[in-house]
Amino acid sequence: MSSESSKKRKPKVIRSDGAPAEGKRNRSDTEQEGKYYSEEAEVDLRDPGRDYELYKYTCQELQRLMAEIQDLKSRGGKDVAIEIEERRIQSCVHFMTLKKLNRLAHIRLKKGRDQTHEAKQKVDAYHLQLQNLLYEVMHLQKEITKCLEFKSKHEEIDLVSLEEFYKEAPPDISKAEVTMGDPHQQTLARLDWELEQRKRLAEKYCESLSNKEKILKEIEVKKEYLSSLQPRLNSIMQASLPVQEYLFMPFDQAHKQYETARHLPPPLYVLFVQATAYGQACDKTLSVAIEGSVDEAKALFKPPEDSQDDESDSDAEEEQTTKRRRPTLGVQLDDKRKEMLKRHPLSVMLDLKCKDDSVLHLTFFYLMNLNIMTVKAKVTTATELITPISAGDLLSPDSVLSCLYPGDHGKKTPNPANQYQFDKVGILTLSDYVLELGHPYLWVQKLGGLHFPKEQPQQTVIADHSLSASHMETTMKLLKTRVQSRLALHKQFASLEHGIVPVTSDCQYLFPAKVVSRLVKWVTVAHEDYMELHFTKDIVDAGLAGDTNFYYMALVERGTAKLQAAVVLNPGYSSIPPIFQLCLNWKGEKTNSNDDNIRAMESEVNVCYKELCGPWPSHQLLTNQLQRLCVLLDVYLETESHDDSVEGPKEFPQEKMCLRLFRGPSRMKPFKYNHPQGFFSHR
Amino acid sequence: MERAVPLAVPLGQAEVFQALQRLHMTIFSQSVSPCGKFLAAGNNYGQIAIFSLSAALSSEAKEESKKPVVTFQAHDGPVYSMVSTDRHLLSAGDGEVKAWLWAEMLKKGCKELWCRQPPYRTSLEVPEINALLLVPKENSLILAGGDCQLHTMDLETGTFTRVLRGHTDYIHCLAFRERSPEVLSGGEDGAVRLWDLRTAKEVQTIEVYKHEECSRPHNGRWIGCLATDSDWMVCGGGPALTLWHLRSSTPTTIFPMRAPQKHVTFYQDLILSAGQGRCVNQWQLSGELKAQVPGSSPGLLSLSLNQQPAAPECKVLTAAGNSCRVDVFTNLGYRAFSLSF
Repeated sequence: MSSESSKKRKPKVIRSDGAPAEGKRNRSDTEQEGKYYSEEAEVDLRDPGRDYELYKYTCQELQRLMAEIQDLKSRGGKDVAIEIEERRIQSCVHFMTLKKLNRLAHIRLKKGRDQTHEAKQKVDAYHLQLQNLLYEVMHLQKEITKCLEFKSKHEEIDLVSLEEFYKEAPPDISKAEVTMGDPHQQTLARLDWELEQRKRLAEKYCESLSNKEKILKEIEVKKEYLSSLQPRLNSIMQASLPVQEYLFMPFDQAHKQYETARHLPPPLYVLFVQATAYGQACDKTLSVAIEGSVDEAKALFKPPEDSQDDESDSDAEEEQTTKRRRPTLGVQLDDKRKEMLKRHPLSVMLDLKCKDDSVLHLTFFYLMNLNIMTVKAKVTTATELITPISAGDLLSPDSVLSCLYPGDHGKKTPNPANQYQFDKVGILTLSDYVLELGHPYLWVQKLGGLHFPKEQPQQTVIADHSLSASHMETTMKLLKTRVQSRLALHKQFASLEHGIVPVTSDCQYLFPAKVVSRLVKWVTVAHEDYMELHFTKDIVDAGLAGDTNFYYMALVERGTAKLQAAVVLNPGYSSIPPIFQLCLNWKGEKTNSNDDNIRAMESEVNVCYKELCGPWPSHQLLTNQLQRLCVLLDVYLETESHDDSVEGPKEFPQEKMCLRLFRGPSRMKPFKYNHPQGFFSHR
Repeated sequence: MERAVPLAVPLGQAEVFQALQRLHMTIFSQSVSPCGKFLAAGNNYGQIAIFSLSAALSSEAKEESKKPVVTFQAHDGPVYSMVSTDRHLLSAGDGEVKAWLWAEMLKKGCKELWCRQPPYRTSLEVPEINALLLVPKENSLILAGGDCQLHTMDLETGTFTRVLRGHTDYIHCLAFRERSPEVLSGGEDGAVRLWDLRTAKEVQTIEVYKHEECSRPHNGRWIGCLATDSDWMVCGGGPALTLWHLRSSTPTTIFPMRAPQKHVTFYQDLILSAGQGRCVNQWQLSGELKAQVPGSSPGLLSLSLNQQPAAPECKVLTAAGNSCRVDVFTNLGYRAFSLSF
């Protein structure tokens, strides 16, 4: 029963019997204490040491008895058997003792083990308890810290400071007596006050909102009133037209122009506005007008849906026709070019009137795809001009405005982005088209407010009013000076071709009364021919003979001496002086490379030109230079030292009054004329 | 023959005027600094430019090294003649001599140390000074020019001590004969006159044009340049370039040069001359032309040999004339480069 079960189980728990084969013990619960024999209790009473001694003695006895039995058995005999039996019984008794001792030992062992087990269990239980308690302690500590760190929302609200609070809050909220002492109550009171304030402010906010709505409604009403005013004003304007005309105040006309101006592309608009402003403010001789078709300009910006609806039918028709006859590639390219160079339908016309009633007509165009402006110029005079042969180019529309500013020749497009566009349609350079499109001068772009910086190419260049305004005055003045100087030259050339050097009376003092050398010829010379002349090499090498200049040849003669003068006329005349190069044919050919005096003569005309400018605006420069050239030739020929070896008198007797004939290491002739004494001296 | 066309730079009024001025510039005189490293050049506008020879000749020379270190307006009229003492540069223009300190000139805005005008007879026109000559033993300066006289000025006191009269037309050039201290002067009147400095009298006159072998009437009779080697003298100008023996006043060698020469100098055993025409001519004393080295100006007016002992690396021949450029010859065989105003 329980012994079997105790055999199978190996309990860790304390109480178990363990020792098998003890039938005597604990069979039934009813057995009394006196009867049942507990070896466990006996274990406690006996001393393990003595048991050990007993065990040793028993073993010895057994060994002795076995040895005696052995002896007896080996001796043999009858009474041996009894002694053997005796001894056998004693051995059995010893065996029994041994068994008991063994049992006892086992019981002791078990008891020891059980006690250890028990103690260990206890220790474990305490350990667990300790851990539980520690865990709880930690948990509680965490909770405490959480509680301590708890921030109540009320701390995030910025409450008014204590002093303010006590000042402002009504006493039933602040409750000073209570709150002063108790911080918790104080905070509560403050929170109350905060709530109170917020409620009040919310009310105010609602009020203001409603106010605002009211005012907005009033504004709407007034706006409607004003807009209803506009048509009435218009009708008044219409009615006042006759009065305007009567009083010569063409507001309406200006108004119409402004209407048209709204359709101008931005650069032309900038030009229009700035030019009108300048004309009104500074220069009454400037007049601005807009030409061209406004409808076409409007058509450019028509929304594509409308045009699609209109043209869907025509598209279908066109498709049929194009299938039959496709245009050739050349024509296609041509069309593309035309498209690229297309001008805006509107253009701005400026008329500059000069003092002598000649007018410079400038028409400004805008090329839409290239984003540049061009100008076409025309000069008309009060009386008709007979153009002398040499003056052909002076006033021609192609060259009259060339190089208004130095280097601005107007043959290349100023917008660097255009080059890529040109490459796509095969246009080499804009200069092929300038005759019909006009010249894209840099100053024209500036007047339209377009600035194309070289260093940083911009994506889109926008028209800028301030750029235009800053250039307007200078450009207008330059234009006027240019027209006047060209007209002056025109007149002078007519005279020069007839061999007369027209010297005005206020420049007569620069020259002696008698000038014998005469101007015989004045003709234009082509640029390439000028470069090929042998005596102009220095000017060409110095870069002063570009292709924007005008070139002329003058011939001055006296007796057998012929002086050729090659003249470079810069388009910027008269601020940039004409440059002369001389070649004298008299007793051999003399130029500045083999005769120092020829060089000096050139210097007198080229370097000392400021004396010859005459009264501003120095239109007399060229004619004065030519006259001086004649005087210089006179001096040169008359002061030539006589060659003793040649027979005969001097060809040119000296008539000029000179202090000295030669001076300095180069033996210069006296070329400087002194007024009013009338003699010649050296510089 | 095609000419290379230079790029047309957009030229405003100021640039055109400057270009014209440079085209018509003539450099009349040159002078080397006492240290040998700088060259002063004077032009017809009265400006003096100081070039740094050491910078231009160094191996790191750039284009800017060939431009003047400083340029200033020295005189109102052309600077026909310049000469250097061991501390000063003396420049002569329209009738006046000015002195400048070499050490100060390299700074901008320097002013002349002094300015002197010799006593002139006429007052109508101020005569130019064509030639300056230093007489180191006396510490004096001889000036000659448009008033046909030679003036001597004492450099210490600045007073004009002597006046030597004799020329009938203006004087072009001066030369100094060391042995018996005599001054030679050549003038427009065609005569070379020798003057004794101690007695202040004319001791010898050579009228070059009267000698048939050297006279060239179509050029004129003027003597444009003189150089002397104590016993010998070479002169040129209107008449042919001729070597004379002074004691006997006879022409010994006539150099076959057609163009009139404006400057001549003895150098080692050669005679260097320059004048109308591009070239610097090198002659043997026998009269043979050793070499003709072309320069960059169409005509040359002055040659300068930098023989200052302090700067042997700057030993060059410089030539200037009818242009704004000074040609530098490091070796007499070719033109190395040109300095330019």
